[in-house]
Amino acid sequence: MAVNRKKLGALLCVLAVTAAAAGTAAASHSGTPGVSKKQIVIGGTFPFTGFASAYKTIPTAELAYFGYVNAHGGVNGRKIKDIQLDDAYNPAETVPDVHQLVEQDHVFAVVGSLGTAPGLSTWAYLNQNKVPQVLLATGDAYWGNCIHRACDKTGIKKSWTTGWQPDYPGEAKLYAKYILQQKPNAKIGVLYQNDAYGKNYLTGLKTGLGSHANQIVDAEPYNFGDSAQVVIGHVGALEAHGADTFVIFATPTAAGQALYGESAVLHWSPLTILNNVSANRVFMLSYGQAGASLNNIVSTTYIQSQTVTPNSKGMKLAKAIIASTGNTGLEQDFAAGDNNLVYGFGVAYTFVDALKHAGKNPTRASFMRALRHLDEKSNPFVYPGMTVQMSKTRAFPMEQLIFEKWSGGGTGDWKTFGKVLNSGH
Amino acid sequence: MRSHVPALGSIVAVAGVLVALPFLLSSYNVSLAAQVGIYFVAVLGLNILTGYSGQISIGHGAFMAIGGYTTAIMSRDHHTNLVVTMLMAFAICFVLGLIVGLPALRFSGAYLALVTFALAVSVPELPLQWSTFLGGTGGVQSTTTVSDRWIYGAAWTASAILFLLAWLILRGRAGRAFRAVRDSEIAATASGIELSVYKTLAFGISAAYAGVAGALFVMATNGFAQPTEFSVILSLQLLIGAAVAGLGSLWGILAGAAFVGLLPKVSTSVPLTGTDHGRDVVFGLMVVLVMLVLPEGFAGLLARLKALVRA
Repeated sequence: MAVNRKKLGALLCVLAVTAAAAGTAAASHSGTPGVSKKQIVIGGTFPFTGFASAYKTIPTAELAYFGYVNAHGGVNGRKIKDIQLDDAYNPAETVPDVHQLVEQDHVFAVVGSLGTAPGLSTWAYLNQNKVPQVLLATGDAYWGNCIHRACDKTGIKKSWTTGWQPDYPGEAKLYAKYILQQKPNAKIGVLYQNDAYGKNYLTGLKTGLGSHANQIVDAEPYNFGDSAQVVIGHVGALEAHGADTFVIFATPTAAGQALYGESAVLHWSPLTILNNVSANRVFMLSYGQAGASLNNIVSTTYIQSQTVTPNSKGMKLAKAIIASTGNTGLEQDFAAGDNNLVYGFGVAYTFVDALKHAGKNPTRASFMRALRHLDEKSNPFVYPGMTVQMSKTRAFPMEQLIFEKWSGGGTGDWKTFGKVLNSGH
Repeated sequence: MRSHVPALGSIVAVAGVLVALPFLLSSYNVSLAAQVGIYFVAVLGLNILTGYSGQISIGHGAFMAIGGYTTAIMSRDHHTNLVVTMLMAFAICFVLGLIVGLPALRFSGAYLALVTFALAVSVPELPLQWSTFLGGTGGVQSTTTVSDRWIYGAAWTASAILFLLAWLILRGRAGRAFRAVRDSEIAATASGIELSVYKTLAFGISAAYAGVAGALFVMATNGFAQPTEFSVILSLQLLIGAAVAGLGSLWGILAGAAFVGLLPKVSTSVPLTGTDHGRDVVFGLMVVLVMLVLPEGFAGLLARLKALVRA
C-alpha cells in the first residue's frame, strides 16, 4: 500500500512537470496568431459525422480550393493551412473544438464553420477574444444583424462575425413577391421546421406578404427528426385548410417526405415552393427516387451548378480542381450537380479574396476591415451577375437570388428564370 | 470512498495537483481538465447508483440536460448567480431522480435500463415541444459567460464537495443499505431495509450529481444549452465512464472521467484515422480493450496491484 502510494506520487510529479513544459511551450509565440512567413493557419468546425453529415462536401471543397491556391503560390507567399474539426453539429463539441483552434492551434480566423447552433454557441467567445468568425455556413439573420448590438444577453457585440449566403428571411420575402405576382388570391399553406431556422423563414414570408399575410391559411410546424407520417400529416392538414399554394421551409429529409406526401400520398398539386437549402439537385434526385413528383417546383439559387452552367469559367475551374484531388466520390457528386461543393468553392474564394486585400502582413483587424469592404464582382462560383459585397450599410455578403423551376421529372434539373433579384434588407 | 480509513494521502496528492494545474497549463488544456472535472461529478454520481446500489441507468444524460437547462434559464430570466443555479440544478434533479426511481422498484436489470433509456431519448425532445420557454432547437443562452479557469475551479470544487458528500453517505447507514440491496434484495428486506426508500434514494442522489455536472457542462459551452448537446450518446459515455472507473475508488473515478473526457479529443489526433468517423472507431476500440483487460474497471486493477505489492 505504502509503496504503491509513493509510486503514484512520483507519477503525479512527472505529470505535473510535463504539463508545465507543455504550458510554457504553448505560450511562446508572438505577432498575429496563425500568420508566419510561409503560412497562414485557419480552422473551422463541420459535421463530418452525425445527422448533418450530408454537408461534409462543403469543407472538402474548401480544402480542395485552398490546395489549388497553395499550388499557385498561396496568398502573398503564404500557404493556407485549414484545420477542419468534426463537431457532428453538436454545440457541446463545437465549443472545445473552437477553444482548441484558438488556444492550441492559434488559428488566424475561424472560417466557414457550419450550422446555426454551433455558430451561436461560440460567437460570444470568439468576439470576446477578437477572433474572426467569418463566412459561416448558415443563412440565419444573426450573422449580419448583430454587429452593433449584442443580440443576446452577454452584452458582447458580434462585430467579428459574418455569414456568406443570402439570409433566410430575405429569401422568403422573394417567395412572397412571387406568389402575389403569380396568384394574387393564393391561399398559402406553409410547412416549416419548428426552430429558429424555420421561423426565420416564416417571418420573412409574412413580412414579404405585408397586408396579404392573412392569405396564409395555415402554417404547420414540424420538428426536426419527425417521422414521414408526421410530416405528411402536416401536409394533409394544409390541403384540408384549402391551400392552393404550398411553401416548404424545411431541411432536406423532411422536404423529401413532404414532397412525397404531396404528390404520391395526397395527389395534391398546388403551386409548390421549396426553400434553397433543400433544393440541391442531388437532394432533388433522391426525392424523385423515393417517389415524389418534382416538375414545376419553384425555388431560388445563388450559386452555379455543374449541370446548369457547365461551360462557365467557374465550373470549368471547379471541375479541374476536383479532378486534381483524385477523389472520385467528389467528382461524381460534382457531376450530379451537388452545388454544396460549388458553395464551398465560393466561400473559399471569398476568404482568399479578402485575405489578399488585408495587406502584406495581415492582422485579424486588417482582415476584418478588408472583408467588411469587400466588393467581389469576380467570384466565379456564384451565379453569373451576382456580387459578393459588404459595406458600412451592408452586413450580408450575398443579397441576391434568382428563381428556378424544376422540369424533367426524376432525372430532370433546375432551370433559372427571370432576372437576378435583390433579397437584401 | 471506502467506509473504513479514507486514503488521505491520495486525496491530498490529487488536491495538490488540481490546485497547481491551472497555473501550469495553457488555457486550452485547463478547459480540457475542467471537462474531466465535469465528468468526474457525473461518473461519481452514477457510481453510487450502479456500483453501490446495483441499479443500471443509461439515462443520466437526461438529468444533465435538466441541470444544464436549469442553469441557462435561471441565468437568462433572472440573471441568477451561476453558483446558485448549480445548487438549484442539484435540488431539482434530486427530486426528479426520486420520481424516476419509482419505476426502479418494479424493474431491474435490462428492463430498468430500457426505462432510463426512454428518459435519455425523450428529455432532449422537450425543448422542441415548449420552445418559447425552453428555446427550441435554437437553445438557451445564459446571460453570464465565464472563463475556462472559472469553470475549472467550479468543476473541481464541486467535485471535492460532492466526493466528500458521497463518502459521508456511503460510509454510514445508507451506504450499507445500498450494498445490501445490491447483493441480495431478499436478504436486505429480511434485515429490515426498506427497499423502496433506498432504491429511490440512490436514484435521487445520482441524478442530483448529474444535474450539477449538467449545469457545469452548459457553463463550459459558453453558457449555451441546446438539445443536441444532451444526446443519448452522452448517457452512454457516462455509463462507459462508470464502467472504466470500477467500484468505489477515487483513482478509478478519475480514470473513468479522464477516459470519457479526454479520449474523444486525443483520438482525433491519432494519425491513422482522419476526421471521418476515425474518432468513434478509436473510442469504441478503447472501450472494448479496457473492458477486456479491466473487467472490474480501473478500481479493480488498483486492487490487484495492491494485492501484488502485499504479496
